[in-house]
Amino acid sequence: MPPSNPAPAPDRTSDAAMTRRTFLRSTAAFSGLAALAASLSPLRELSDYTSVEQFLQKYYKEMTPEEMAKVLKRIERDVERQYGIRPHVRDLRPMDGVEFVYCLNLTRCIGCRKCVHACVAENNHSRNPEIQYIRVLKLPHGSLDFEKAEHHYDPKQVPEKGFFYMPVQCQQCKHSPCMKACPVNATWTETDGITVIDYDWCIGCRYCEAACPYFARRFNFAKPEIPKERLNPNMAYLGNRPRKQGVMEKCHFCIQRTRVGRYPACLEVCPVGARKFGNILDPESEVSYILREKRVFIQLKEELGTSPRFFYYFDK
Amino acid sequence: METQLHPPPGNDRTRTNFLLGGLSVVFLGLAGLFLAELWGHPEKRRKLPLVDPGFLAVKPWRQTYADLLKAKEDMSDFDCYSCHERNKPLPLHMDEKHNVIIPKEHENIKMGHGSHNRNNLCYNCHSETNLLTLVARDGRDLKFADSTQLCGSCHGPTYRDWEAGAHGRTSGYWDRSKGQSQRLDCANCHNPHSPGIPTREPAPGPHSLHEAVPPTPQPTH
Repeated sequence: MPPSNPAPAPDRTSDAAMTRRTFLRSTAAFSGLAALAASLSPLRELSDYTSVEQFLQKYYKEMTPEEMAKVLKRIERDVERQYGIRPHVRDLRPMDGVEFVYCLNLTRCIGCRKCVHACVAENNHSRNPEIQYIRVLKLPHGSLDFEKAEHHYDPKQVPEKGFFYMPVQCQQCKHSPCMKACPVNATWTETDGITVIDYDWCIGCRYCEAACPYFARRFNFAKPEIPKERLNPNMAYLGNRPRKQGVMEKCHFCIQRTRVGRYPACLEVCPVGARKFGNILDPESEVSYILREKRVFIQLKEELGTSPRFFYYFDK
Repeated sequence: METQLHPPPGNDRTRTNFLLGGLSVVFLGLAGLFLAELWGHPEKRRKLPLVDPGFLAVKPWRQTYADLLKAKEDMSDFDCYSCHERNKPLPLHMDEKHNVIIPKEHENIKMGHGSHNRNNLCYNCHSETNLLTLVARDGRDLKFADSTQLCGSCHGPTYRDWEAGAHGRTSGYWDRSKGQSQRLDCANCHNPHSPGIPTREPAPGPHSLHEAVPPTPQPTH
Protein backbone atom coordinates (compact mmCIF):
# COMPACT_ATOMS: atom_id res chain seq x y z
CA MET A 1 0.00 0.00 0.00
CA PRO A 2 1.50 3.36 -0.86
CA PRO A 3 1.62 5.73 1.95
CA SER A 4 -1.45 7.84 1.76
CA ASN A 5 0.16 11.23 1.53
CA PRO A 6 -2.31 13.96 1.84
CA ALA A 7 -2.96 14.83 -1.78
CA PRO A 8 -3.16 18.50 -2.61
CA ALA A 9 -6.63 19.58 -3.26
CA PRO A 10 -7.29 19.66 -7.01
CA ASP A 11 -7.11 23.28 -8.03
CA ARG A 12 -9.46 23.46 -10.97
CA THR A 13 -8.84 27.11 -11.74
CA SER A 14 -5.05 27.13 -11.85
CA ASP A 15 -4.49 23.70 -13.40
CA ALA A 16 -2.60 25.22 -16.31
CA ALA A 17 -1.09 21.83 -16.98
CA MET A 18 -4.12 20.70 -18.83
CA THR A 19 -7.80 20.35 -18.58
CA ARG A 20 -9.72 18.52 -21.25
CA ARG A 21 -11.32 21.74 -22.43
CA THR A 22 -8.17 23.82 -22.80
CA PHE A 23 -6.41 20.91 -24.42
CA LEU A 24 -9.12 20.39 -27.02
CA ARG A 25 -9.37 24.11 -27.62
CA SER A 26 -5.67 24.62 -28.17
CA THR A 27 -5.16 21.55 -30.34
CA ALA A 28 -8.18 22.53 -32.44
CA ALA A 29 -6.75 26.01 -32.92
CA PHE A 30 -3.32 24.63 -33.67
CA SER A 31 -4.47 22.05 -36.18
CA GLY A 32 -6.76 24.63 -37.74
CA LEU A 33 -3.80 26.94 -38.30
CA ALA A 34 -1.73 24.07 -39.59
CA ALA A 35 -4.47 23.12 -42.04
CA LEU A 36 -4.73 26.71 -43.21
CA ALA A 37 -0.99 26.92 -43.74
CA ALA A 38 -0.97 23.63 -45.61
CA SER A 39 -3.83 24.72 -47.82
CA LEU A 40 -1.98 27.92 -48.69
CA SER A 41 1.30 26.17 -49.32
CA PRO A 42 0.81 25.94 -53.13
CA LEU A 43 1.23 29.72 -53.08
CA ARG A 44 4.90 29.10 -52.38
CA GLU A 45 5.28 28.02 -56.00
CA LEU A 46 3.28 30.94 -57.33
CA SER A 47 6.30 33.06 -58.11
CA ASP A 48 7.45 30.33 -60.49
CA TYR A 49 4.80 30.87 -63.04
CA THR A 50 3.12 34.17 -62.66
CA SER A 51 4.10 37.66 -61.76
CA VAL A 52 1.98 40.68 -60.98
CA GLU A 53 2.96 42.14 -64.35
CA GLN A 54 1.80 39.04 -66.11
CA PHE A 55 -1.38 38.89 -64.10
CA LEU A 56 -2.24 42.48 -65.03
CA GLN A 57 -1.20 42.02 -68.65
CA LYS A 58 -3.75 42.99 -71.30
CA TYR A 59 -5.22 40.87 -74.06
CA TYR A 60 -2.87 40.47 -77.04
CA LYS A 61 -5.10 42.34 -79.45
CA GLU A 62 -5.59 45.26 -77.05
CA MET A 63 -1.97 45.94 -76.32
CA THR A 64 -0.35 49.06 -77.70
CA PRO A 65 3.11 48.67 -79.27
CA GLU A 66 4.68 50.19 -76.14
CA GLU A 67 2.87 47.78 -73.86
CA MET A 68 3.88 44.91 -76.12
CA ALA A 69 7.51 46.02 -75.98
CA LYS A 70 7.32 45.95 -72.19
CA VAL A 71 5.74 42.51 -72.22
CA LEU A 72 8.44 41.16 -74.55
CA LYS A 73 11.07 42.53 -72.16
CA ARG A 74 9.28 40.87 -69.26
CA ILE A 75 9.24 37.53 -71.11
CA GLU A 76 12.94 37.84 -71.90
CA ARG A 77 13.64 38.52 -68.23
CA ASP A 78 11.52 35.59 -67.09
CA VAL A 79 13.19 33.20 -69.51
CA GLU A 80 16.64 34.42 -68.53
CA ARG A 81 15.87 33.96 -64.85
CA GLN A 82 14.58 30.46 -65.43
CA TYR A 83 17.02 29.15 -68.03
CA GLY A 84 20.03 31.46 -67.80
CA ILE A 85 19.82 32.26 -71.50
CA ARG A 86 18.81 35.67 -72.81
CA PRO A 87 16.34 34.92 -75.61
CA HIS A 88 15.27 37.12 -78.49
CA VAL A 89 11.48 37.41 -78.24
CA ARG A 90 9.57 39.12 -81.00
CA ASP A 91 5.96 39.88 -81.74
CA LEU A 92 5.64 38.93 -85.41
CA ARG A 93 2.52 40.05 -87.24
CA PRO A 94 1.05 38.39 -90.33
CA MET A 95 2.35 39.61 -93.68
CA ASP A 96 0.06 41.19 -96.25
CA GLY A 97 -1.00 39.03 -99.18
CA VAL A 98 0.12 35.83 -97.49
CA GLU A 99 -1.96 32.81 -96.61
CA PHE A 100 -0.04 29.76 -95.54
CA VAL A 101 -0.80 26.29 -96.77
CA TYR A 102 0.95 23.05 -95.94
CA CYS A 103 1.07 20.06 -98.28
CA LEU A 104 2.24 16.64 -97.27
CA ASN A 105 3.11 13.92 -99.76
CA LEU A 106 1.84 10.60 -98.43
CA THR A 107 3.66 8.71 -101.18
CA ARG A 108 7.00 10.00 -99.91
CA CYS A 109 6.65 9.94 -96.11
CA ILE A 110 8.68 7.09 -94.64
CA GLY A 111 7.51 7.52 -91.04
CA CYS A 112 10.94 8.32 -89.60
CA ARG A 113 9.50 10.84 -87.07
CA LYS A 114 12.33 13.30 -87.61
CA CYS A 115 9.73 16.04 -88.04
CA VAL A 116 8.31 15.29 -84.58
CA HIS A 117 11.62 15.90 -82.86
CA ALA A 118 12.68 18.85 -85.02
CA CYS A 119 9.41 20.46 -83.96
CA VAL A 120 10.08 19.70 -80.29
CA ALA A 121 13.54 21.25 -80.54
CA GLU A 122 12.46 24.30 -82.49
CA ASN A 123 9.39 25.11 -80.44
CA ASN A 124 10.73 24.62 -76.91
CA HIS A 125 8.37 21.84 -76.00
CA SER A 126 8.34 20.38 -72.55
CA ARG A 127 10.55 17.29 -72.60
CA ASN A 128 9.12 16.02 -69.33
CA PRO A 129 6.19 15.57 -69.39
CA GLU A 130 6.59 15.02 -73.07
CA ILE A 131 4.65 17.27 -75.43
CA GLN A 132 4.72 16.75 -79.18
CA TYR A 133 2.67 18.55 -81.81
CA ILE A 134 3.09 15.98 -84.57
CA ARG A 135 1.82 12.43 -84.40
CA VAL A 136 2.84 10.06 -87.15
CA LEU A 137 0.17 7.47 -87.82
CA LYS A 138 1.02 4.14 -89.38
CA LEU A 139 -1.80 2.90 -91.60
CA PRO A 140 -2.12 -0.26 -93.69
CA HIS A 141 -2.06 0.29 -97.44
CA GLY A 142 -5.39 0.78 -99.12
CA SER A 143 -7.37 2.52 -96.42
CA LEU A 144 -7.64 5.69 -94.44
CA ASP A 145 -9.35 4.01 -91.53
CA PHE A 146 -8.03 5.64 -88.38
CA GLU A 147 -9.29 2.74 -86.30
CA LYS A 148 -6.40 0.82 -87.83
CA ALA A 149 -3.88 3.59 -87.25
CA GLU A 150 -1.02 3.14 -84.84
CA HIS A 151 1.36 5.79 -83.58
CA HIS A 152 3.54 3.77 -81.20
CA TYR A 153 5.15 1.74 -83.97
CA ASP A 154 8.75 0.90 -83.20
CA PRO A 155 10.35 -1.31 -85.84
CA LYS A 156 14.09 -1.42 -86.43
CA GLN A 157 13.72 0.15 -89.85
CA VAL A 158 11.08 2.25 -91.56
CA PRO A 159 9.21 2.24 -93.88
CA GLU A 160 7.65 -1.16 -93.27
CA LYS A 161 6.22 -3.11 -96.18
CA GLY A 162 2.46 -2.79 -96.59
CA PHE A 163 2.07 0.41 -94.58
CA PHE A 164 2.05 4.11 -95.20
CA TYR A 165 2.63 6.90 -92.74
CA MET A 166 0.55 9.96 -92.09
CA PRO A 167 1.86 12.73 -89.88
CA VAL A 168 -0.97 14.66 -88.23
CA GLN A 169 -0.56 18.06 -86.64
CA CYS A 170 -2.67 21.21 -86.36
CA GLN A 171 -4.55 21.55 -89.64
CA GLN A 172 -4.89 25.35 -89.32
CA CYS A 173 -8.58 25.19 -90.23
CA LYS A 174 -10.39 27.98 -91.98
CA HIS A 175 -13.38 27.30 -89.74
CA SER A 176 -11.58 26.21 -86.64
CA PRO A 177 -13.73 24.53 -83.99
CA CYS A 178 -11.16 25.27 -81.28
CA MET A 179 -11.52 28.97 -81.82
CA LYS A 180 -15.30 28.78 -81.48
CA ALA A 181 -15.02 26.74 -78.30
CA CYS A 182 -12.67 29.10 -76.48
CA PRO A 183 -14.66 31.04 -73.86
CA VAL A 184 -12.09 33.83 -73.51
CA ASN A 185 -10.92 34.27 -77.12
CA ALA A 186 -7.43 33.22 -76.17
CA THR A 187 -7.13 31.42 -79.52
CA TRP A 188 -7.98 32.89 -82.91
CA THR A 189 -7.07 32.65 -86.59
CA GLU A 190 -4.78 35.31 -87.97
CA THR A 191 -5.05 36.73 -91.48
CA ASP A 192 -2.25 34.51 -92.76
CA GLY A 193 -4.21 31.45 -91.72
CA ILE A 194 -2.34 30.48 -88.59
CA THR A 195 -4.49 29.73 -85.56
CA VAL A 196 -2.56 31.09 -82.59
CA ILE A 197 -2.83 31.04 -78.81
CA ASP A 198 -2.10 33.87 -76.40
CA TYR A 199 -0.53 31.73 -73.67
CA ASP A 200 -0.95 34.55 -71.15
CA TRP A 201 -4.68 34.80 -71.83
CA CYS A 202 -5.49 31.08 -71.84
CA ILE A 203 -7.38 29.93 -68.76
CA GLY A 204 -6.66 26.25 -69.33
CA CYS A 205 -10.25 25.04 -69.59
CA ARG A 206 -9.30 22.63 -72.41
CA TYR A 207 -12.56 23.19 -74.29
CA CYS A 208 -10.53 23.72 -77.46
CA GLU A 209 -8.81 20.39 -76.97
CA ALA A 210 -12.18 18.71 -76.82
CA ALA A 211 -13.41 20.64 -79.83
CA CYS A 212 -10.46 19.80 -82.07
CA PRO A 213 -11.25 16.81 -84.31
CA TYR A 214 -7.54 16.24 -85.04
CA PHE A 215 -6.16 15.93 -81.49
CA ALA A 216 -3.82 18.76 -82.36
CA ARG A 217 -3.93 20.65 -79.08
CA ARG A 218 -1.80 19.84 -76.08
CA PHE A 219 -2.25 20.84 -72.46
CA ASN A 220 0.52 21.55 -69.99
CA PHE A 221 -0.66 19.41 -67.12
CA ALA A 222 2.58 19.92 -65.25
CA LYS A 223 5.29 22.52 -65.18
CA PRO A 224 7.19 22.10 -68.46
CA GLU A 225 10.80 20.98 -68.26
CA ILE A 226 13.23 22.03 -70.96
CA PRO A 227 16.95 21.30 -70.60
CA LYS A 228 18.91 24.57 -70.77
CA GLU A 229 21.19 23.37 -73.53
CA ARG A 230 18.22 22.55 -75.75
CA LEU A 231 16.40 25.88 -75.41
CA ASN A 232 15.87 27.69 -78.70
CA PRO A 233 16.49 31.40 -77.98
CA ASN A 234 14.80 32.63 -81.16
CA MET A 235 11.27 33.14 -79.86
CA ALA A 236 7.98 34.73 -80.79
CA TYR A 237 5.16 35.86 -78.52
CA LEU A 238 2.52 33.77 -80.27
CA GLY A 239 5.03 31.06 -81.10
CA ASN A 240 7.66 29.12 -79.26
CA ARG A 241 8.28 31.12 -76.07
CA PRO A 242 8.22 28.74 -73.09
CA ARG A 243 4.73 27.97 -71.87
CA LYS A 244 3.67 27.65 -68.27
CA GLN A 245 1.68 25.03 -66.45
CA GLY A 246 -2.04 25.08 -67.14
CA VAL A 247 -2.16 26.47 -70.68
CA MET A 248 -2.83 24.99 -74.09
CA GLU A 249 -0.39 24.90 -76.95
CA LYS A 250 -0.28 23.56 -80.49
CA CYS A 251 1.45 23.77 -83.86
CA HIS A 252 1.66 27.34 -85.17
CA PHE A 253 3.55 26.65 -88.41
CA CYS A 254 6.72 27.84 -86.61
CA ILE A 255 5.60 31.48 -86.52
CA GLN A 256 9.06 32.59 -85.45
CA ARG A 257 10.43 31.20 -88.73
CA THR A 258 7.62 31.43 -91.27
CA ARG A 259 6.70 35.05 -90.55
CA VAL A 260 10.23 36.08 -91.43
CA GLY A 261 10.09 34.10 -94.66
CA ARG A 262 11.72 30.84 -93.62
CA TYR A 263 10.42 27.29 -93.90
CA PRO A 264 9.05 25.53 -90.81
CA ALA A 265 11.42 23.24 -88.90
CA CYS A 266 9.53 20.04 -89.72
CA LEU A 267 9.88 20.75 -93.43
CA GLU A 268 13.62 21.35 -93.38
CA VAL A 269 14.35 18.18 -91.46
CA CYS A 270 12.22 15.88 -93.61
CA PRO A 271 14.75 13.55 -95.28
CA VAL A 272 12.50 12.70 -98.24
CA GLY A 273 11.01 16.10 -99.02
CA ALA A 274 7.47 14.97 -98.25
CA ARG A 275 6.59 18.30 -96.65
CA LYS A 276 5.84 21.42 -98.67
CA PHE A 277 4.93 24.82 -97.35
CA GLY A 278 4.23 28.19 -98.85
CA ASN A 279 1.94 31.03 -99.73
CA ILE A 280 -1.21 29.86 -101.52
CA LEU A 281 -1.90 33.40 -102.75
CA ASP A 282 1.32 33.30 -104.77
CA PRO A 283 0.66 31.28 -107.96
CA GLU A 284 4.38 30.60 -108.31
CA SER A 285 4.75 28.91 -104.93
CA GLU A 286 5.32 25.19 -104.45
CA VAL A 287 2.00 24.70 -102.72
CA SER A 288 0.09 26.43 -105.53
CA TYR A 289 1.84 24.14 -108.00
CA ILE A 290 0.96 21.06 -105.96
CA LEU A 291 -2.70 21.91 -105.52
CA ARG A 292 -2.92 22.77 -109.21
CA GLU A 293 -0.98 19.87 -110.69
CA LYS A 294 -1.23 16.90 -108.35
CA ARG A 295 -4.14 14.65 -109.04
CA VAL A 296 -5.30 13.60 -105.62
CA PHE A 297 -5.23 15.46 -102.38
CA ILE A 298 -7.30 15.18 -99.26
CA GLN A 299 -8.15 17.36 -96.36
CA LEU A 300 -8.32 15.30 -93.24
CA LYS A 301 -11.94 14.76 -92.08
CA GLU A 302 -13.13 17.00 -94.85
CA GLU A 303 -16.73 16.16 -94.06
CA LEU A 304 -16.59 18.14 -90.80
CA GLY A 305 -16.41 21.39 -92.73
CA THR A 306 -13.37 22.65 -90.89
CA SER A 307 -11.65 23.36 -94.23
CA PRO A 308 -8.06 22.71 -93.18
CA ARG A 309 -5.12 24.56 -94.70
CA PHE A 310 -3.20 21.30 -94.46
CA PHE A 311 -3.42 19.08 -97.54
CA TYR A 312 -2.33 15.49 -98.04
CA TYR A 313 -1.51 14.45 -101.55
CA PHE A 314 -0.11 11.56 -103.54
CA ASP A 315 2.42 11.47 -106.33
CA LYS A 316 0.56 9.12 -108.63
CA MET B 1 -9.90 -0.17 3.27
CA GLU B 2 -8.35 3.21 3.52
CA THR B 3 -7.74 3.55 -0.23
CA GLN B 4 -11.24 2.46 -0.95
CA LEU B 5 -12.65 5.11 1.30
CA HIS B 6 -10.31 7.82 0.13
CA PRO B 7 -9.27 7.09 -3.38
CA PRO B 8 -6.15 9.09 -4.12
CA PRO B 9 -7.17 11.91 -6.39
CA GLY B 10 -3.84 11.61 -8.25
CA ASN B 11 -4.80 8.29 -9.78
CA ASP B 12 -7.48 9.80 -12.01
CA ARG B 13 -5.34 12.74 -12.97
CA THR B 14 -2.35 10.67 -14.01
CA ARG B 15 -4.52 8.72 -16.36
CA THR B 16 -6.06 11.90 -17.77
CA ASN B 17 -2.68 13.56 -18.25
CA PHE B 18 -1.32 10.45 -19.85
CA LEU B 19 -4.24 10.31 -22.27
CA LEU B 20 -4.09 14.02 -23.09
CA GLY B 21 -0.34 13.89 -23.59
CA GLY B 22 -0.70 10.97 -25.96
CA LEU B 23 -3.49 12.70 -27.81
CA SER B 24 -1.48 15.88 -28.20
CA VAL B 25 1.42 13.89 -29.62
CA VAL B 26 -0.92 12.27 -32.14
CA PHE B 27 -2.49 15.62 -33.06
CA LEU B 28 0.86 17.37 -33.41
CA GLY B 29 2.15 14.52 -35.50
CA LEU B 30 -0.88 14.70 -37.78
CA ALA B 31 -0.54 18.47 -38.09
CA GLY B 32 3.13 18.08 -38.93
CA LEU B 33 2.40 15.50 -41.62
CA PHE B 34 -0.34 17.71 -42.96
CA LEU B 35 2.06 20.63 -43.25
CA ALA B 36 4.70 18.52 -44.88
CA GLU B 37 2.10 17.34 -47.42
CA LEU B 38 3.37 13.81 -47.13
CA TRP B 39 0.35 12.43 -48.92
CA GLY B 40 -0.23 15.45 -51.07
CA HIS B 41 3.08 15.23 -52.88
CA PRO B 42 2.62 14.31 -56.52
CA GLU B 43 4.46 11.28 -57.77
CA LYS B 44 8.04 12.12 -58.65
CA ARG B 45 8.45 12.58 -62.38
CA ARG B 46 10.07 9.69 -64.09
CA LYS B 47 13.05 10.67 -66.15
CA LEU B 48 12.41 10.68 -69.88
CA PRO B 49 15.37 10.21 -72.19
CA LEU B 50 16.20 13.09 -74.54
CA VAL B 51 16.17 12.35 -78.22
CA ASP B 52 19.48 11.69 -79.97
CA PRO B 53 20.48 14.96 -81.71
CA GLY B 54 21.34 12.87 -84.77
CA PHE B 55 17.62 12.78 -85.54
CA LEU B 56 17.60 16.58 -85.76
CA ALA B 57 20.22 16.72 -88.53
CA VAL B 58 19.07 18.65 -91.58
CA LYS B 59 22.02 17.81 -93.84
CA PRO B 60 21.35 15.56 -96.83
CA TRP B 61 22.78 12.09 -96.35
CA ARG B 62 24.69 11.97 -99.63
CA GLN B 63 27.20 14.28 -101.23
CA THR B 64 27.09 14.83 -104.96
CA TYR B 65 30.05 15.30 -107.27
CA ALA B 66 29.29 19.02 -107.28
CA ASP B 67 29.31 19.10 -103.46
CA LEU B 68 32.69 17.36 -103.38
CA LEU B 69 34.10 19.84 -105.90
CA LYS B 70 32.77 22.74 -103.84
CA ALA B 71 34.20 21.31 -100.62
CA LYS B 72 37.57 20.81 -102.40
CA GLU B 73 37.61 17.13 -101.50
CA ASP B 74 40.01 14.62 -102.94
CA MET B 75 38.60 13.88 -106.40
CA SER B 76 41.07 11.16 -107.36
CA ASP B 77 38.25 8.59 -107.19
CA PHE B 78 36.70 10.26 -110.20
CA ASP B 79 39.87 10.28 -112.25
CA CYS B 80 38.88 7.28 -114.38
CA TYR B 81 41.91 7.47 -116.65
CA SER B 82 44.38 6.91 -113.89
CA CYS B 83 43.47 3.21 -114.33
CA HIS B 84 41.52 2.98 -117.59
CA GLU B 85 43.07 3.60 -120.99
CA ARG B 86 41.77 6.43 -123.13
CA ASN B 87 39.98 5.71 -126.42
CA LYS B 88 39.55 2.08 -125.58
CA PRO B 89 35.88 1.20 -125.05
CA LEU B 90 35.28 -1.08 -122.11
CA PRO B 91 33.26 -4.19 -122.84
CA LEU B 92 30.51 -5.10 -120.37
CA HIS B 93 30.27 -8.64 -119.11
CA MET B 94 26.95 -10.24 -118.27
CA ASP B 95 26.10 -13.30 -116.26
CA GLU B 96 23.57 -15.87 -117.48
CA LYS B 97 20.66 -13.82 -116.05
CA HIS B 98 21.78 -10.78 -118.04
CA ASN B 99 22.92 -8.90 -114.98
CA VAL B 100 26.01 -6.84 -115.53
CA ILE B 101 29.03 -8.24 -113.70
CA ILE B 102 30.55 -5.51 -111.57
CA PRO B 103 34.35 -5.70 -111.69
CA LYS B 104 36.18 -6.07 -108.41
CA GLU B 105 37.57 -2.53 -108.57
CA HIS B 106 34.03 -1.17 -108.48
CA GLU B 107 32.51 -3.58 -106.00
CA ASN B 108 31.06 -0.73 -103.92
CA ILE B 109 28.53 -0.22 -106.71
CA LYS B 110 25.25 -2.04 -106.16
CA MET B 111 23.10 -2.09 -109.23
CA GLY B 112 19.41 -1.63 -108.54
CA HIS B 113 18.13 1.04 -110.88
CA GLY B 114 14.67 0.20 -112.11
CA SER B 115 12.74 -2.98 -111.60
CA HIS B 116 13.24 -6.10 -113.73
CA ASN B 117 16.85 -5.18 -114.56
CA ARG B 118 15.67 -2.76 -117.17
CA ASN B 119 18.41 -0.30 -116.46
CA ASN B 120 21.47 -2.31 -115.61
CA LEU B 121 23.76 -1.24 -118.43
CA CYS B 122 26.51 1.16 -117.43
CA TYR B 123 26.38 2.92 -120.80
CA ASN B 124 22.76 3.91 -120.37
CA CYS B 125 24.13 6.81 -118.37
CA HIS B 126 27.92 6.73 -118.62
CA SER B 127 29.57 7.68 -121.89
CA GLU B 128 31.19 4.74 -123.61
CA THR B 129 33.81 6.88 -125.28
CA ASN B 130 34.64 9.27 -122.45
CA LEU B 131 34.39 7.93 -118.94
CA LEU B 132 34.57 11.44 -117.50
CA THR B 133 31.18 12.37 -118.84
CA LEU B 134 27.62 11.15 -118.68
CA VAL B 135 25.35 10.82 -121.62
CA ALA B 136 21.73 11.87 -121.45
CA ARG B 137 18.84 10.07 -123.17
CA ASP B 138 18.91 12.58 -126.00
CA GLY B 139 22.65 12.09 -126.61
CA ARG B 140 23.94 15.20 -124.86
CA ASP B 141 27.25 14.80 -123.05
CA LEU B 142 26.97 16.04 -119.46
CA LYS B 143 29.48 16.64 -116.74
CA PHE B 144 29.21 14.67 -113.51
CA ALA B 145 28.26 17.87 -111.75
CA ASP B 146 25.20 18.18 -114.00
CA SER B 147 23.85 14.75 -113.21
CA THR B 148 20.41 16.13 -112.34
CA GLN B 149 19.76 16.89 -116.00
CA LEU B 150 20.75 13.34 -116.84
CA CYS B 151 18.12 12.00 -114.44
CA GLY B 152 15.62 14.45 -115.88
CA SER B 153 16.16 13.13 -119.39
CA CYS B 154 14.30 9.94 -118.39
CA HIS B 155 12.27 10.99 -115.35
CA GLY B 156 10.39 13.84 -116.99
CA PRO B 157 7.41 14.30 -114.63
CA THR B 158 9.64 14.03 -111.56
CA TYR B 159 12.06 16.52 -113.06
CA ARG B 160 9.19 18.89 -113.74
CA ASP B 161 8.04 18.55 -110.12
CA TRP B 162 11.60 19.11 -108.92
CA GLU B 163 11.92 22.27 -110.98
CA ALA B 164 8.69 23.58 -109.43
CA GLY B 165 10.00 22.72 -105.97
CA ALA B 166 7.42 19.99 -105.41
CA HIS B 167 9.83 17.05 -105.49
CA GLY B 168 12.75 16.78 -103.14
CA ARG B 169 13.98 18.53 -100.08
CA THR B 170 14.06 22.28 -99.69
CA SER B 171 15.46 24.54 -97.03
CA GLY B 172 15.91 28.23 -96.48
CA TYR B 173 13.20 30.71 -97.39
CA TRP B 174 9.73 30.20 -98.81
CA ASP B 175 9.64 33.98 -99.34
CA ARG B 176 11.95 34.59 -102.29
CA SER B 177 12.18 38.29 -101.46
CA LYS B 178 13.81 37.44 -98.12
CA GLY B 179 16.21 34.74 -99.21
CA GLN B 180 16.79 31.69 -101.29
CA SER B 181 15.01 28.39 -101.25
CA GLN B 182 17.81 25.87 -101.51
CA ARG B 183 17.06 22.81 -103.52
CA LEU B 184 19.15 19.67 -103.66
CA ASP B 185 20.28 17.61 -106.62
CA CYS B 186 18.89 14.14 -107.29
CA ALA B 187 22.12 12.51 -106.14
CA ASN B 188 21.88 14.21 -102.73
CA CYS B 189 19.14 11.76 -101.80
CA HIS B 190 19.23 9.03 -104.46
CA ASN B 191 22.17 6.79 -105.18
CA PRO B 192 22.16 6.82 -109.00
CA HIS B 193 23.09 3.13 -109.14
CA SER B 194 20.23 2.12 -106.83
CA PRO B 195 18.01 5.13 -106.37
CA GLY B 196 15.48 3.71 -103.93
CA ILE B 197 15.52 5.53 -100.59
CA PRO B 198 17.09 3.12 -98.08
CA THR B 199 15.14 2.24 -94.97
CA ARG B 200 16.25 3.90 -91.76
CA GLU B 201 15.86 3.73 -88.02
CA PRO B 202 12.81 5.69 -86.84
CA ALA B 203 13.14 8.31 -84.14
CA PRO B 204 11.52 7.35 -80.82
CA GLY B 205 7.74 7.55 -80.70
CA PRO B 206 5.57 9.23 -78.12
CA HIS B 207 6.49 8.05 -74.65
CA SER B 208 4.26 5.39 -73.19
CA LEU B 209 3.71 7.50 -70.07
CA HIS B 210 1.08 9.23 -72.14
CA GLU B 211 -1.06 6.15 -72.43
CA ALA B 212 -3.95 5.69 -70.02
CA VAL B 213 -2.82 2.10 -69.65
CA PRO B 214 0.93 1.80 -70.08
CA PRO B 215 1.72 -0.77 -72.75
CA THR B 216 3.76 -3.77 -71.80
CA PRO B 217 7.44 -2.89 -71.82
CA GLN B 218 9.01 -3.51 -75.17
CA PRO B 219 12.42 -5.10 -75.47
CA THR B 220 14.98 -2.36 -75.99
CA HIS B 221 17.17 -2.51 -79.01
